[in-house]
Amino acid sequence: MKAIYGLYPDPDSAQHAVDELRKGGVPDRSITVISSQPYEEYQFSHRYKQTWLFWIAAGGGVAGLAAGLTLAYITETSWPLVTGGMPIVAWWPNIIIMFELTMLGAILATVVSLFVTTGLPTKDSKVYDPEVSQGKILVAVEEPADDALVERTLKASGIEEVKRV
Amino acid sequence: MTLQDEQKINADLLRPLRSTSVWFFLLVAFLGTILLCGAGAWFYQMSNGLAVAGIRWPIFWAFYITNFVFWIGISHAGTLISAILRLVNATWRRPVTRCAEVITVFALMIGAMFPIIHLGRPWLFFYLIPYPSERHIWPNVRSPLSWDFFAISTYLTGSTLFLILPIIPDFALMRDQMTGWRRRIYGVLALGWQGTTKQWHRLEAAMQIMAIAIVPVAISVHTIVSFDFSMSPVPMWHSTVFGPYFVVGAIFSGIAGLIIAMAVLRKTLHLEAYLHPLHFQNLGKLLLLMSLLWGYFTFAERITTWYGNQPAEMAVFWETQTGSYAPLFWTMVFCNFLIPFPILAIRKLRTITGCVIASSTIVVGMWLERFLIIVPSLGTKNLPYSWSSYRPQPVEIMITIATFAAMVLLYTLFTKAVPIISIWELKVGGHVQPQLTAEGETEEEHHALWRTRP
Amino acid sequence: MTHRWGMTVDLDRCTGCEACVTACRTENNIRIAGPEQSAKGRAIAWIRVERYYEGDFPDVRVKFRPVMCQQCDAAPCEPVCPTYASHHTDEGLNAQVYNRCIGTRYCANACPYNVRFFNFGNPVFDRPLELALNPDVSVREVGVVEKCTFCVQRISAGKDVAKAENRELKDGEIKPACVQSCPTSAIVFGDLNDPESEVSRLSRSSRGTKLLEDVGTLPKVTYLQKQY
Repeated sequence: MKAIYGLYPDPDSAQHAVDELRKGGVPDRSITVISSQPYEEYQFSHRYKQTWLFWIAAGGGVAGLAAGLTLAYITETSWPLVTGGMPIVAWWPNIIIMFELTMLGAILATVVSLFVTTGLPTKDSKVYDPEVSQGKILVAVEEPADDALVERTLKASGIEEVKRV
Repeated sequence: MTLQDEQKINADLLRPLRSTSVWFFLLVAFLGTILLCGAGAWFYQMSNGLAVAGIRWPIFWAFYITNFVFWIGISHAGTLISAILRLVNATWRRPVTRCAEVITVFALMIGAMFPIIHLGRPWLFFYLIPYPSERHIWPNVRSPLSWDFFAISTYLTGSTLFLILPIIPDFALMRDQMTGWRRRIYGVLALGWQGTTKQWHRLEAAMQIMAIAIVPVAISVHTIVSFDFSMSPVPMWHSTVFGPYFVVGAIFSGIAGLIIAMAVLRKTLHLEAYLHPLHFQNLGKLLLLMSLLWGYFTFAERITTWYGNQPAEMAVFWETQTGSYAPLFWTMVFCNFLIPFPILAIRKLRTITGCVIASSTIVVGMWLERFLIIVPSLGTKNLPYSWSSYRPQPVEIMITIATFAAMVLLYTLFTKAVPIISIWELKVGGHVQPQLTAEGETEEEHHALWRTRP
Repeated sequence: MTHRWGMTVDLDRCTGCEACVTACRTENNIRIAGPEQSAKGRAIAWIRVERYYEGDFPDVRVKFRPVMCQQCDAAPCEPVCPTYASHHTDEGLNAQVYNRCIGTRYCANACPYNVRFFNFGNPVFDRPLELALNPDVSVREVGVVEKCTFCVQRISAGKDVAKAENRELKDGEIKPACVQSCPTSAIVFGDLNDPESEVSRLSRSSRGTKLLEDVGTLPKVTYLQKQY
């Protein structure tokens, strides 16, 4: 896997580097910015379409609701035992089971889609540098079309050397 | 924030993981011994039957259910701090979230042991699990104990995930900063986390959803635990106020537990730069609010009972007010309200020490409150022939003490494995926010890691 | 027509002799607690005679009330059992299934009459009392809850006999142990669905009351008030 990257000491210079790369014609999907914290105020990536995660969570919730309903109904009707004069299918208690499984469904759907969309867990070797954990921000270009141009652009934003993978 | 600041944070918060003093080993050995004694006591109880405990006809629930409700209550700390404060964008929560979430997970695990410990036939606890068994019968979903199973499982799953997800970036950080066998383990736990913008975006969105989801779950859990009592016609149990009363009590005891944990961590792990008096001030104010709410609910419940003057309920009422449980009752009122209220209300007294004192009395008072809800009612039921009193036995006391030891032990071991302050969330708090600076505000104040302005 | 088993207890006739308690214990293999455990409140008595004193000497009046499981139609002990160990049969009895019981004791707490008992230890019968065990009734192990069943083993046996002889059950044919042993015939047992049975007749008596009626459990035992 071929990539060139530079380590920037602060988010401003990293933003500058990304902007310059974009101006230089590098496509957005080739630019990867890696940091040890999220930088919400900066525009490192243009792929900020609204996440589907909320809808997935809602879907998980609906699935949980269905599961709760089914479970309560089946367990109550498979052995219809009268308890305390209550109806066999007692909706007041069933609501509680349905609620809990709805929330569990939403939570599990969220976590599963998080792992799926972020590609975790993974053992593939991807672009990374341990200096990121020291606070540096890594700006990488994967499969660069023009090596030298990318290197010049990265260096122009304030770093001494670039690294290659 | 400069690179030096970032590296200092890394160094400070990873120091407990890197260096271990002899006190750690002594503490673990001490707590481990108590835990073993508790396990031995439980084993003794399982072999000899519940005759060795203090329960009797008709007081069939006592210490173990008190502990159950108490620990599930303590587990409400994490949810409030992490989830609700995250949802209202209170940035001062950042150093505090992981401390709180850890309390939740461990308190839940300990609390969830008690429905098994108190069973007459604990080896058959799996009868509660709804799976298609060869017995061809399902659990009764009309039973509040069945609701407990669902609620606690959901909450435990949710809060464990809520704790673990934001640790993944920290595992990646530790993989980079550590060496040797630690590096390998953290490398596996980091799951290949890089820190791309997409990953951060997704993680934050997932945390937001989890926060929204976990709050109703937490409220429902303690409501359902309260339903264990309010669904039966026992005098002074069959009260509609129990749901909100228990939730308020849970959040109350949870915050108290959190303050104590934070104060201890601050001292022992030298986190003075990260856990600022401001955090304790803010949590102290929340604790004050919960103390007032607790007082309000207690008053509402008791005045309704007293005014209603129903004979069965009044028998229980007077037992706690002036009868054999009166000393415990008034101690509880002191501990939950009369002592904490001035400490937390008066700004000068709302220091770290003050908050810890108030929290300690509250933890004691809330444990007493659970006890006083359960035992006097059962000891003074409808037919006076059955009225009895309860005396705890060594087995029950030992197991109770062992759960406190277990909590401290689990917490101590956790601080050795994972940084107790979420490193990346703390760093985010230090970002320069694009906002209006107040006139005359110093540079330092503007960049402080903890700010009250969102 | 299905039966609906009920009882009446005439408090005017009850002398507090506790023959019913002894008979019940023998019939139903109730474990012996011993003096120490009894003092700690672990004694089991499916039927007990509650004794209340009114007034001061010499104008003392004693009230005896035999209390057994009221087999409530709206039993608070039934919906709270997580394993269906406590449920209602179609003959109106509250069944306790020992095999399903895991000993949460929620039913025992919920019962306003305190007629449910917990096995705090394994059953011990000092020799030679184990020879007197009733083979029709199971011996409960540690950790399960038990209570009066209206001697369901005798009900089943009575029904089997009637079926074998191809006839209807006669009123008074089935007698639980307490009914059988009461010297004053204070306790009467029978089918409430049969309007001519003695128990139905007595249930309609103007002296008839139900214990803790306001709790709303719909008990099936009618107590006939003592006439002073």
